[in-house]
Amino acid sequence: MGALADYAQFVLMPQMFNGLTIGIAVILMALGLTIIFGLLDVFNMAHGEFYALGAYLGVTLASRGVSFWLLLVLVPLLLLPAGFLVDRALIQRLFHQKERHMLTMLLTFGLAIVMEDLFKAAYGPNTLKPDSPLKGGTEVLGNFFPTYRLFLVGIGAFTIFAVWFIVNRTRFGAMVRAAALDRHMAASLGVPVRRVYSTTFAFGVALAGLSGVLLSPIYSVFPTMGKDFILMAFTAVILGGFGSIRGVVLGGLVLTQIQALSSLYVSPVWGDPIVFGIMVLVLFFRPQGIFGGRLGHA
Amino acid sequence: MNRIAALSLAILTSLVALPATAAEPVKIGVVTPLTGTYAPIGQQVRWGLELATREVNASGGILGRPVELIFEDEEANPAVATQKAEKLFQVTKVDFLTGTVNSGSTLAVGQLAERNNRLASTTVSFSDAITGDKCSPNVFRVNARAGQQSAALAEWLAKDKGAGTAIYYLGPDYEMGRNTVAAFKAAAEARKMKTVGEVFAPLGNNDYSPFFGQMRAAKPAVLYTSVAGNDTARLFTQLDEYGLRKNLLIIGASGTVTSQNMGALGKVADGYVTGVGYSPEIDSPENKKFLAAFRAAYKADPDLYGADSYGLIYFYKAAVEKAKSTDTDKVRTAMSGLKWMTPQGEKEMRAGDHQAVQDMYAVRVENGKFRIVSKVPGPQAVGPDTCTRF
Repeated sequence: MGALADYAQFVLMPQMFNGLTIGIAVILMALGLTIIFGLLDVFNMAHGEFYALGAYLGVTLASRGVSFWLLLVLVPLLLLPAGFLVDRALIQRLFHQKERHMLTMLLTFGLAIVMEDLFKAAYGPNTLKPDSPLKGGTEVLGNFFPTYRLFLVGIGAFTIFAVWFIVNRTRFGAMVRAAALDRHMAASLGVPVRRVYSTTFAFGVALAGLSGVLLSPIYSVFPTMGKDFILMAFTAVILGGFGSIRGVVLGGLVLTQIQALSSLYVSPVWGDPIVFGIMVLVLFFRPQGIFGGRLGHA
Repeated sequence: MNRIAALSLAILTSLVALPATAAEPVKIGVVTPLTGTYAPIGQQVRWGLELATREVNASGGILGRPVELIFEDEEANPAVATQKAEKLFQVTKVDFLTGTVNSGSTLAVGQLAERNNRLASTTVSFSDAITGDKCSPNVFRVNARAGQQSAALAEWLAKDKGAGTAIYYLGPDYEMGRNTVAAFKAAAEARKMKTVGEVFAPLGNNDYSPFFGQMRAAKPAVLYTSVAGNDTARLFTQLDEYGLRKNLLIIGASGTVTSQNMGALGKVADGYVTGVGYSPEIDSPENKKFLAAFRAAYKADPDLYGADSYGLIYFYKAAVEKAKSTDTDKVRTAMSGLKWMTPQGEKEMRAGDHQAVQDMYAVRVENGKFRIVSKVPGPQAVGPDTCTRF
């Protein structure tokens, strides 16, 4: 019995906490994806590169002496106009085409490749490692955890709540949901649909940028970093149900806990095949996800 | 008239005398990483070779001929290494080739040396295969291989911790990582220590925390790792942040913590123990002389790569002078079984597999410096000759 309690405290608990930190990272990425998809019906393949853009912007500003805490506000603010422009200049052009899904997916995929190469050209292929703003560990229930990861869980949870609040409890959120449900009806009722689209896209991009800054002290900054979380984030979106915030949170948490706990028994490199196996099964048996339904409906 | 005759005579004598004083140089090709991830290792190789070459040339060269080094960048890429080596053999017509770092490059260049009937040597590559099942009659290794490093480390660990010690393994998931882990596991289990688990993480892994779960469950007393470069910095920092360095001895390959990443590691490297063929601490007149010359020339300490590369030039000099020729067959015969002096003391080139036999050390990091904690005599560390090709 003592051995079991020991196992729970010193093996299971740290592992689950670890899963939670990765889960928060995945959810932060998936939130932007799901909002953009839920409203615009666009699979933003360049989402990971906007995450990288946030991280690089953070590194650049930090080298000019901007404090890490200020970056958490500054980088998302700087990415808002960037996201707005990308939507206006690129995505809206294809938005009314019949092959919208395929075309916007190809467009954002191309954008991702261009951005990755630009990072390589501007910053070189080597990994940059931003200093962690909170060093060392903190003892919780007999276990040591990196202080920065505890902070990440806290601020991540707050961000997720804030996004939920904006979408479900504000006037802007109501317009977004209305536009997602029926854009023609919303437009005829006076919702500035085009602006809502661009703003929502910008909002998703800003979220990706915030994740970039938040995660860079743990995962470092390198040109292909956009590919790291994006597959997990897509899987969380699929598992949770496209366009559902509740679903993304649950999907992200479930997937990363499965990954964390399975890595106690099989090599952690098997975590990815397990997660993507689950994605395939969900697509077979419940393609609409756990909380099927679009942003306007859920 | 007289003056013109005197002048032409002077010119004539100088023309005749010129080839006599400036003898045809002995050309040594160096194919080593000068750019990219392994550039810091290539830097040490270059420093060691150039220092020894200057010394040899200052005292009359080899057989009265000066030594010339010709560098080519291999980018730690076997494909590039073979191209550059081919060029050095065919166009530059070098007498001897060295410098390869990546074990794959060394193996590839070795095959090329055989086809061109030239000799080659590595001063860096660890893989046991180079002087084991993939040995070549044309390839010599003057540095210690993975097996020798493991033997020195396991010997120390057995004495320090005793039989039954629980060891956990974490290696990078590619050829070198799996080789080094297997080599140390064999050496440790032969000394009655216990394996409680092993795990391999991808090269360039960012987050090691998912790999800690199995390790926590296994409750090891010792962690053996062979990650290198930036991976070491991430692994050690994360172990520290999760409070796992307490009550855990971390040991590993000699490439894991080096003078190159020691600065980035800082305090978290303290206590790390590894098996290695060189330390600036070796207390011998040869090493003191080498150390002083190296520091004066480069304002930096030599590491194992610098020391072994320095020793290589003296190895080649001794062999050519014994053979009285740079002819491939004669030099090969001279090299087999050759004993020569290096900063690490006398080394012997084993005739059976062309692996240098040398004393090995276990060293521990204390305040950013390697301290020698034990020494294993060469013959005891080298392990059996498994080469069957010659």
